[in-house]
Amino acid sequence: MAGFTLFPAETRVKLTLRPRAAMIAPMRSRVACVAVIGLVAAAGCNEGLSPTPACPRGFVGICGTATVRGTLPDSTQGLFIVAYTTFPESIQALLTFQPLPPPAVLLPPSGDSTLFYTLPLPSGRYEWVLAVWQKQGTLKPDFSNADSLFREAGFYKDAGDTTSHGSGIVVVDGTATDSIDFVIDFDDMHRICTYFPPCP
Amino acid sequence: MRPVLLGALAMMPLRALSAQETAVLYGSMRDSSGQPLRATVRVVNGAAASVADAQGRYQLSVPAGLVIVRVGFLGYRSLDDTLTLAAGDSLERDYRLGPAVQLQPVIVTAAKRSQLLSQVVTSVALVTDTDVARRAVTTVDEAVDKTPGVQFLNGQVNIRGSSGYVQGLGSRVLLLVDGVPANQGDRGGINWDLVPLEDVARVEVVKGAGSVLYGSAALGGVVNVITREIPTGFHARGRVVGGWFADPPHDIWKFRDYRGAQEGLDVTASYGSDVARGSFTAGDWHSDGYREQDRRNHWQTAGKAQWVPSPETHVTASGSWASDQYETPLIWCVQGTCDDRGQAFQPFMIDASGRGAFTRSDKGLLAATVEHRASGNFAWQARGSWGRTHFTDFQSTRDDWGVANRYGVEFRGDVHPRGDRVLTLGTEGTFSDVRTNIFTGDSNPMSNVVRTHDQHEFAAYAEGERQHGRVWLAAGARIDHIDVDGGRLATVLSPRLGVVLPTSRLGVWRASAGRGFRAPSLAERFVSTVVQGIPVVPNPNLDPETAWSFELGNGATLSSAVRTDAALFWAEVYDLIEPRLDSGRIQFRNVTRARLAGLDLALTATPAVAGLTTTVSYMFLHARELAHDTVPERSLAFRPRHLLTLGADYQRGAIGVGGDFRYTSRLDRVEIYETDQRVAGKILDLRASAVWGAWTLRAQLANALNYIYSQVPRTLAPVRTLTATMTWTR
Repeated sequence: MAGFTLFPAETRVKLTLRPRAAMIAPMRSRVACVAVIGLVAAAGCNEGLSPTPACPRGFVGICGTATVRGTLPDSTQGLFIVAYTTFPESIQALLTFQPLPPPAVLLPPSGDSTLFYTLPLPSGRYEWVLAVWQKQGTLKPDFSNADSLFREAGFYKDAGDTTSHGSGIVVVDGTATDSIDFVIDFDDMHRICTYFPPCP
Repeated sequence: MRPVLLGALAMMPLRALSAQETAVLYGSMRDSSGQPLRATVRVVNGAAASVADAQGRYQLSVPAGLVIVRVGFLGYRSLDDTLTLAAGDSLERDYRLGPAVQLQPVIVTAAKRSQLLSQVVTSVALVTDTDVARRAVTTVDEAVDKTPGVQFLNGQVNIRGSSGYVQGLGSRVLLLVDGVPANQGDRGGINWDLVPLEDVARVEVVKGAGSVLYGSAALGGVVNVITREIPTGFHARGRVVGGWFADPPHDIWKFRDYRGAQEGLDVTASYGSDVARGSFTAGDWHSDGYREQDRRNHWQTAGKAQWVPSPETHVTASGSWASDQYETPLIWCVQGTCDDRGQAFQPFMIDASGRGAFTRSDKGLLAATVEHRASGNFAWQARGSWGRTHFTDFQSTRDDWGVANRYGVEFRGDVHPRGDRVLTLGTEGTFSDVRTNIFTGDSNPMSNVVRTHDQHEFAAYAEGERQHGRVWLAAGARIDHIDVDGGRLATVLSPRLGVVLPTSRLGVWRASAGRGFRAPSLAERFVSTVVQGIPVVPNPNLDPETAWSFELGNGATLSSAVRTDAALFWAEVYDLIEPRLDSGRIQFRNVTRARLAGLDLALTATPAVAGLTTTVSYMFLHARELAHDTVPERSLAFRPRHLLTLGADYQRGAIGVGGDFRYTSRLDRVEIYETDQRVAGKILDLRASAVWGAWTLRAQLANALNYIYSQVPRTLAPVRTLTATMTWTR
């Protein structure tokens, strides 16, 4: 919704082009927290605004914030974010993701954190955007060790989606698509065989 | 022992005293927490007496020999001190009075006359001079900001969520300065920096509709700024203020390579006798601001004169003037509107389209009041006032300007036919005009014509109170007739009923129902301009907003250490004025039905620790915009659901420390940039003070956590600011 300023200085009136249906975000009441812990704990509740990277201008692809949870395994070789135009039907289709080769994501620090990512993608429709964790090692040409080498660490899905692999349609149309946000949980990663059973 | 001495003194023949037969007693008089008291010290059975100055210091010549002096101050237990002094002696004695006798506060705003707080039918919050002094702030709004049930949104006051955010286009709260209406004549807004804070004795905040006595703008409440009484003798006060703004907490937000600062200086001098008194204040301050394009220069002066030709007659004239020149940080930068450094938004930088915006604003208020007590049963007051504002917004496109006047006259009488009855009645007239190139009413928003508009308001009101047993009943009404440019706009009737029931165990109960209204400002009615290519057209047919306001409250003293006040409130608002987009143009219309209901709690406790005072206040607000036109029911914009304030102050001798914490829940809805990230407000203010004789040093660390947030979209709220204030008082 556009908003703008009418009398910019002395009055600073802001006129609004409204209405449209309200977007009432669920409010998290923290009164109890604050009332109990008082002034001292106020510092611990500091959740003010913080820097939020944006998709670069002229960028074609997707950007977003990944909320990172859990403990990064010691055997980590890398973390990647990739996108599939269609959900892979078989283990042999695993390499149909974009972009290829996948850019590595800067490994997050230990503990819960957030990381902003940019993923260059050709224009198109993508059904599965996910984070892939790679264990130290080399992928064999026949993918026979893929199940032990890779884990799905989190994926983008539409709000309310409950399917196993998520239903998060992302469309790139020659520009940057922002706010493709999802959770990466190192304590709840899934083997490839989860999607292509049976698991050995 | 003491009565024996007093009796002995009374029987002693008084000797003629010569200069050689006197001694000097000097020192200080303070309360139990160390705060200076302007107490009186006098010789029992003698004529010598002295009043302490603002620092509590006194000096008294007493007869040599055995002498008893009595120290007293209203609200405190008096103290007798027996001394033996030789002629020519000089003895220092410091006195501590207390504990204080609990006196009920007296307020003057709720019923337009002096009354005990416990007899008021609506909720009233007080900001005392002690509250003001504790904070090293520069304007009245900063001092009132933490009042229970009160919240400021970018300078706009909300009482129980009354106004939301419509800055500059009409406040739904009426500002009074010593009882004189001071809202702007053209926009109806409030200039909080009009009255120097140093001149403020206390602020009374009346919550809920107050149109029964105050008419338009008192839709959500009334804020009355009451200036200091001028003491007898010569007094002077100087104040130096210095402050520093915290740098942005993240390097990527940095916008300048130096530490922003603010500094100010003001002086006050007064002289008073029993017949005539006068005071004068002048000062200025400068601020670099805490964000880009946020510099401000401010100059102000104020004066007050009082003439008391007889004990029954008081004549007061006062004036204040303030001038501001300030850069205008319109909205913060989002990606692509400045050097965003790859960020979605840069809260400390401004949108480049507003670069160079600058404003000059001058405003003044003159008022004169005559009060006369004709008899024990009748007193009257007459007043006249003139408020003037002149602003120019210098912009890259077109400079907008307006010169507005607001003249007011009022005559009021208080009748006390019997001890259990009071009648207040009066008549009031307000005349506003504006000459401007933006509030022209021109149908062509591209034109740069200059026009003049005016608005006349005539009103008569009466409210009576009567005691039936323990119960006080109040009933009143006011009728307002409003003309705009010579044509009738509206006639509005604003009644109010109230009852106060003191009980022995459950405190004092109060209940009230009243109607409030606000006439649309000349700005809302006649604005004609173009904003980002969209024409904004006038609407001369705007009607007043109205509200029915209900309240059930209780004030109780749970113990000598704990006082509480609780109120359930409910307001039904009709014809709320808001801007609407229709057919490619914007116009202000009466569009919204709203409901504001909630709970307003305040608790003040003085724990067992001497010198420690704690306060807790909480407001729950259920603010809904009811379904209208094609809009479904939804949250009313810019109203927080929860407002919690915790405060504590500890005073030991000349040293004091304290702090406030305010939690404001995340706004359910805002009206612009709805999808921007919003966070709750969690603001911690810390303060400390020290007194050395005539000098007082106060320091405040506002927003100590440097919590970064905004409540008005894309407008950064103040960051951590350290302010130090040194005051000298004579």
